[in-house]
Amino acid sequence: MTELLERADLLAQLEAARIEGGRLVFVGGEAGVGKTALVREFAARLIGSVLRGSCDNLTTPTPLGPLLDAGVAVDGDPRHVAEALFDALQSTPVLLLEDVHWADQATLDTLRVVGRRIDATGALVVATYRDDEIEGSHPLRVVLGELAASPEVSRLSVPRLSLAAVRGLAEPQGADGEAIHQLTQGNAFYVTEILATEGATLPETIRDAVLARAAKLEPDERLLLDVVAVVPARAELWLLDAVAGEELRNLDACVASGMLHEDGDTVAFRHELARLAVESAVAPHRRRALHTAILRALESSGDLSRLAHHAEEAGDSVAVLEYAAGAAKHAAEAGAHREAAAQYARALRHASRLTAAERVALLAAYGQEAEVTGRYAESIDARLEAIELYQTLGDRLGEGSTMSRLTVPYIRAGWNAEAEKASRAAVDVLEALPPGPELASAYATRAYMRMISRDNADGVTWGEKAVAAAEALGDRDTVAYGLNMIGTSYVMSGEIDRGVDFLLRSLEEARKDGLEVRVASALSMLGSGLGEMYELEQAERYLRECIAFVEAHELTPWYARSWLALVEVYRARWDDGASQARHVLAHPADPISRISSLIALGRVRARRGDPGASDALDEALELAKPGGHLQRLGHVHAARAEAAWLVGDAGRAVKEARTTYPLALEKRHLWFVGELAYWQWKGGALADVPEWIAEPYRLQLAGCAREAAAAWREHGCPYEAARALTEADDESLLLRALAELDRLGARPAAKLLRRAPHARGASVPRGLRLSTRANPGELTARELEVLRLVAAGRRNADVATELVLSPRTVDHHVSAILRKLQVRTRGEAAVAAAELGLLEDR
Amino acid sequence: MDTYVILRRSGWRSGEDLQEAAARSTAAGEQMSDDIRWIRSYVLEEPNGVGTVCIYQASSPEAIRAHAAAADLPVDEIVKVVDTVLVRPDPTPATIDN
Repeated sequence: MTELLERADLLAQLEAARIEGGRLVFVGGEAGVGKTALVREFAARLIGSVLRGSCDNLTTPTPLGPLLDAGVAVDGDPRHVAEALFDALQSTPVLLLEDVHWADQATLDTLRVVGRRIDATGALVVATYRDDEIEGSHPLRVVLGELAASPEVSRLSVPRLSLAAVRGLAEPQGADGEAIHQLTQGNAFYVTEILATEGATLPETIRDAVLARAAKLEPDERLLLDVVAVVPARAELWLLDAVAGEELRNLDACVASGMLHEDGDTVAFRHELARLAVESAVAPHRRRALHTAILRALESSGDLSRLAHHAEEAGDSVAVLEYAAGAAKHAAEAGAHREAAAQYARALRHASRLTAAERVALLAAYGQEAEVTGRYAESIDARLEAIELYQTLGDRLGEGSTMSRLTVPYIRAGWNAEAEKASRAAVDVLEALPPGPELASAYATRAYMRMISRDNADGVTWGEKAVAAAEALGDRDTVAYGLNMIGTSYVMSGEIDRGVDFLLRSLEEARKDGLEVRVASALSMLGSGLGEMYELEQAERYLRECIAFVEAHELTPWYARSWLALVEVYRARWDDGASQARHVLAHPADPISRISSLIALGRVRARRGDPGASDALDEALELAKPGGHLQRLGHVHAARAEAAWLVGDAGRAVKEARTTYPLALEKRHLWFVGELAYWQWKGGALADVPEWIAEPYRLQLAGCAREAAAAWREHGCPYEAARALTEADDESLLLRALAELDRLGARPAAKLLRRAPHARGASVPRGLRLSTRANPGELTARELEVLRLVAAGRRNADVATELVLSPRTVDHHVSAILRKLQVRTRGEAAVAAAELGLLEDR
Repeated sequence: MDTYVILRRSGWRSGEDLQEAAARSTAAGEQMSDDIRWIRSYVLEEPNGVGTVCIYQASSPEAIRAHAAAADLPVDEIVKVVDTVLVRPDPTPATIDN
């Protein structure tokens, strides 16, 4: 047997894992390297029986199919399925799962739970996969990454055969072992196929080798081979009997030739590579005819995924529509959203003859599954088409609620203006109808839109409308959502206690009604909101609670984890923060979680003087730009300003800080205004600053270094506290700052302090005047700057260039100036400014 | 993997201390071989003992710090190498422990 060469070590490791028990072993290797042969041999050596399941090479596999194969009751969510699996493993403590790189999402979710809880059992689960097919964001890679830290989970890799092994196989047949090794690179399946053909020339590819081997069969034996080849994975004998009829008599010959093998009442190719090779050689018309015959034969089986596959291959649109939509619904219920989305997409490809009402139902369902699986552009397209259809149908409720649903994919895709428009339009449409849950939910979506833009007062107003409407209808989900939006908006406006009260009410309501997603969201907003307000100790507590909750409920932990990374960095636990951030970045997390993680990583690198700070912060900026929200852009630019300052580039620090300073002022964000003002002040480029900025920054900018340091310590930020002390006059405070920076490993800040302890302040204005007292129009510093240039006759574009702002931002400032001065034109503004004495140099 | 230079100035009182550190470094490196590879080190004469300049390949600066923490090695500065100019081979090493 070819496959058993050079596998003794691997077999021994599997056996050791079995004896130890409570282990999940992933066996990786390229296609054809001999993974199946290895696990079969392992199973053959055991005394008792094993559970087996395998994943099929289908674009839309049957949800939980492999576990069904293994005889596990697959009802409910991954936790329940895992429980059922653990029950089955009590009597048969070994499970072999093959080809999990093809596994559906629900199976992978189950595997994730198994990996985390297997130590409580005495069982061994072995899962094989093609390690060269899980590049990039392959879902299996995510699972492997998440389980990498568990001591109960390990990976084995099946290597290719050595030259010696190939020679040992080839030479008894008089074949040239070296040439075969050279060609096959030791791929066990390829070697076997070549040795089975005994041809004069070596086949150039695996496909050629397989077809050369198949060519040695009689013509009617090949006909049976074709039938088996168009059935993915395994063909049942009854199915072959129904489709191949007479030709089934050739089964023994095909098995004897080594092309097929029988396993109980199913027949399969010895390898998926062989099936694909033979399938590719079946003529198109014959393939179609075979799929049609298989479809008819399978009709009574009720396996919707298989039926949908064969219906599409047979080109039978009526059948595709019937089965794909059903398969999609079934997949969504099992939590296999990727498969559900693929099945809906398949149905839509065949939906040309549907009525508008039938089509819109498919589109709505597809839009939902595409959103859940992160395919935002597809989700948007589906919903836009659905809205058009609802309009032709005169279904205003469908139209309005679908518009509201467009908001989330628009925002995730970075199309904020469209999101805003859709969300407004939804309210307009729905307010014209009798009140219902759709309207309450559309109000909550409006609140969400305002909250993420940090228009906190509007966030509260819409949130209150949502709660009132939802309470009248008894819509508990929207009540919890609305309370969350109100609370988050209050927190972001600086009314922290009030905000936390609302968020805790949302949490309580969600818990009472078992609304898992809302529980997770309340905890996540408590954690990230308090984090953004530098209430770090509380933030960390809620973030940890959130992560524990979402992981126990199989929801995504990335946003909470990325905020935990930031909180750890601000609490000066740099190793923990960096490793938390890297953990998120190693997964295909959403862009928003990536941004926060990259900021955490960039800050740590900048503060330690490690390389790669700008790599991380450049990527963060690219990701933050499309959304354009203060919470990301302000955060990224603040981190970039800090990094520039730490490498001694004050000019760039000022530029970075200025970029989002106007936006931060407009939203009245205590902390972003504070930090962005701080870097401008450090660079000697800030005229004044509002009084309401976050206390530690206010004290720093007022020249009260010691008090600022104490305030930072109260927020739990040792690095920021030490940084504040570097601005003190007192020698002993400076020495304390230095000792603290050295202790933290903050090399760049320490270096700056050592290099120029006496030159501090040369470029640093201290005791900055706080407030806009002498400013009748209550213009901000930036608005005054713009106004002076406008009054000097500059065009907006010139102002933009001069102040390093975007033209759009300048437009915005100019409108604010006109509004505040209560004038209509730029000329009137110049006159008003002169009258108010705003143009004098100060 | 990128190449990095790691400065560990005045890290050890004696050559023996450094030998022990090298053994810890190798052991820790084997535990995280996907993320870090020790290429070579230059041992520096310092006022109160010895220090090193180490050349590593690593998946990130954080991997270098994690390795240093696991092996109890000091890190003064990590610098990324963007290019290598080889003029002559290194002088014959005095001791080869790895």
